[in-house]
Amino acid sequence: MTAVPLAPELLVGTPLIELRGVTRVYSTGRLEVPALRGVDVDVWPGEFVAIIGHSGSGKTTLMNIIGCLDRPTDGTYRIAGEDVSSFDDDGLARIRSRTIGFVFQNYNLLPRTSALENVATPLLYQGVGRRERLERAKAPLERLGLGDRLTHEPSELSGGQQQRVAIARALVTEPALILADEPTGNLDTASGEEVMAILHELNDEGRTIVLITHEAEVAAKAQRQIHVRDGMIVS
Amino acid sequence: MFRLALSRLGTSRLRTALTMLGVIIGVASVVALVGVGQGATGGITARLQGLGTNLLTISPGAARTGFTRGAAGSSNTLTQEDATALAALSGIAAVEPEVSSSGFVVAGSQNTTTTVLGTTPAYPEVRAFTIADGTFFNQASVDHSLRVVVLGATTATDLGLTSSAIGQTITIGGVPFQLVGILQAKGSTGPVSQDDQAIIPITTARAYFSGGDKVRTIGVSVADANQIELAKATITTTLQARHGVTASALDFSIADQAQLLSTFSSVGATLALLLGGIASISLLVGGIGIMNIMLVSVRERTREIGIRKAIGARGRDILAQFLIEALTISLIGGIIGIAVGLTISVLISTVAGWAIVFSPVTILLAVFFSLAVGVIFGVLPARQAARLDPIVALRYE
Ligand SMILES: Nc1ncnc2c1ncn2[C@@H]1O[C@H](COP(=O)(O)OP(=O)(O)O)[C@@H](O)[C@H]1O
Ligand SMILES: [Mg+2]
Repeated sequence: MTAVPLAPELLVGTPLIELRGVTRVYSTGRLEVPALRGVDVDVWPGEFVAIIGHSGSGKTTLMNIIGCLDRPTDGTYRIAGEDVSSFDDDGLARIRSRTIGFVFQNYNLLPRTSALENVATPLLYQGVGRRERLERAKAPLERLGLGDRLTHEPSELSGGQQQRVAIARALVTEPALILADEPTGNLDTASGEEVMAILHELNDEGRTIVLITHEAEVAAKAQRQIHVRDGMIVS
Repeated sequence: MFRLALSRLGTSRLRTALTMLGVIIGVASVVALVGVGQGATGGITARLQGLGTNLLTISPGAARTGFTRGAAGSSNTLTQEDATALAALSGIAAVEPEVSSSGFVVAGSQNTTTTVLGTTPAYPEVRAFTIADGTFFNQASVDHSLRVVVLGATTATDLGLTSSAIGQTITIGGVPFQLVGILQAKGSTGPVSQDDQAIIPITTARAYFSGGDKVRTIGVSVADANQIELAKATITTTLQARHGVTASALDFSIADQAQLLSTFSSVGATLALLLGGIASISLLVGGIGIMNIMLVSVRERTREIGIRKAIGARGRDILAQFLIEALTISLIGGIIGIAVGLTISVLISTVAGWAIVFSPVTILLAVFFSLAVGVIFGVLPARQAARLDPIVALRYE
């Protein structure tokens, strides 16, 4: 484990993410499935945190809540000091648009849409004009070595390339937090290591990264690990 | 956003085209049927005006006895002398009494059955006919009950007679007549064509086909079109005195073309409205087609919607995306539909010989309606898309 000491100024002030006693119960018909059962999590600006747990332990549920895609059934969640429960759906969309960049296991790129258009789309929802969008979308793609793949559609790209497009899309809005849910899960070892290297590079630049994984060796590369089991934090 | 909609529609071209076809058919039929309705109304109105706007038609029997009127002969109250008396009134340009019967006409090997109309030389003036070939018979023919005939254009065609046949002998009900003229066609204004008749001197008609001195109709041409009401009043007073009837029990009625025209115009407007209404049903069906395809599209693209929401789209962004797609289909469909509809109505008008009616109001309405169809039938699927829960949408396979 490479324990990078945190810069002291990052430990003062408010955490970027602050979950207190968060529960999430899914109601499926008559059945109530408690996916999260009283979770406390703090993530400070600039950290690289891995959330690790077995399949079905509640990792994705946790990510959805951290990513403002979902709300806790109970408990409080503050992002950058603001209580998420005070936001309506548009407010949550705004946080997703300005503050968070998502990287999913299955890439989740828009089908039949070029890499450039995919990366430019988050800017559409910030109200950026088309020309500026496409201009700004180029930089992260070029940075991730996809400068010659701008017009390719997802179906014309390898898994590793698609995931790099997805990371570029997460980066284009310059978000404070990057949330990656099993980003290496569908990739071969080489591409997976590449993606991890990129995430570390981004963290070195000061971006906060929350990585979700069930693989111990992937998690081991993070500064800090949060273990989830049966919807609870065990360490 | 509009560019996004276009590229989305482009990726499923066949489906988009078929959906659009529904709107095209709907809009085209509204535009075409309204156009045809207006064209028909205009065409028939023009022909009614061709009947002579100064024309008053006096018929026997009080109008108010309406449906209970007896057989035509039983209420024949108009006479030749009435016609003569009316001709003497001031403000009256010409008067022509008419008797009529049906007759079997033979010309060489051709034959037809038509209306045999007995009248006077004032007929072409009063009824606004022009002579295509030959001449109309003169007063001498009436005075001497000559067997001369003028044929309507249709009757002449039916009998295979052209200008070269003037002077030839044809038989009506077995009686030989000399053909002296053929009238210019006016076109049909109803079930009974004014162009299908054989016109002979009224005295000849009495002698061979209908006895007595009663007349079926008296046509009056008023000298000044602005004096129609005055002329009607004068005629009424004169005939009232002659027949010895009171104003409350008139035994004749006077119809004028203005009245007929206005009646017809309102009927025509109703007709256009009715046709448009029927056609709107197909527009409705087109709209349902849009809704159907948009619902399918929302379902198919659930995951896409989830992705868009995750990367910052608000509900209203998704709503706008799908609404614009629906509007694009309906607007493009509407524009093509207008073009198709106009082409159809121009073709029909040309074939039927009506003036081509190009009404900007109809076009604007069609554009408006196709947009309305897009909004009305697009909003439900678009709202469904906008309300999708992002985590549910992202899990959707
Ligand atoms: N939308 C849902 N409806 C009902 N149950 C769900 C839903 N999402 C997750 N679950 C359940 O919640 C638990 C945690 O799921 P998840 O957070 O996806 O775990 P992980 O990502 O760690 O595999 C599982 O038992 C799963 O079946
Ligand atoms: Mg998961």
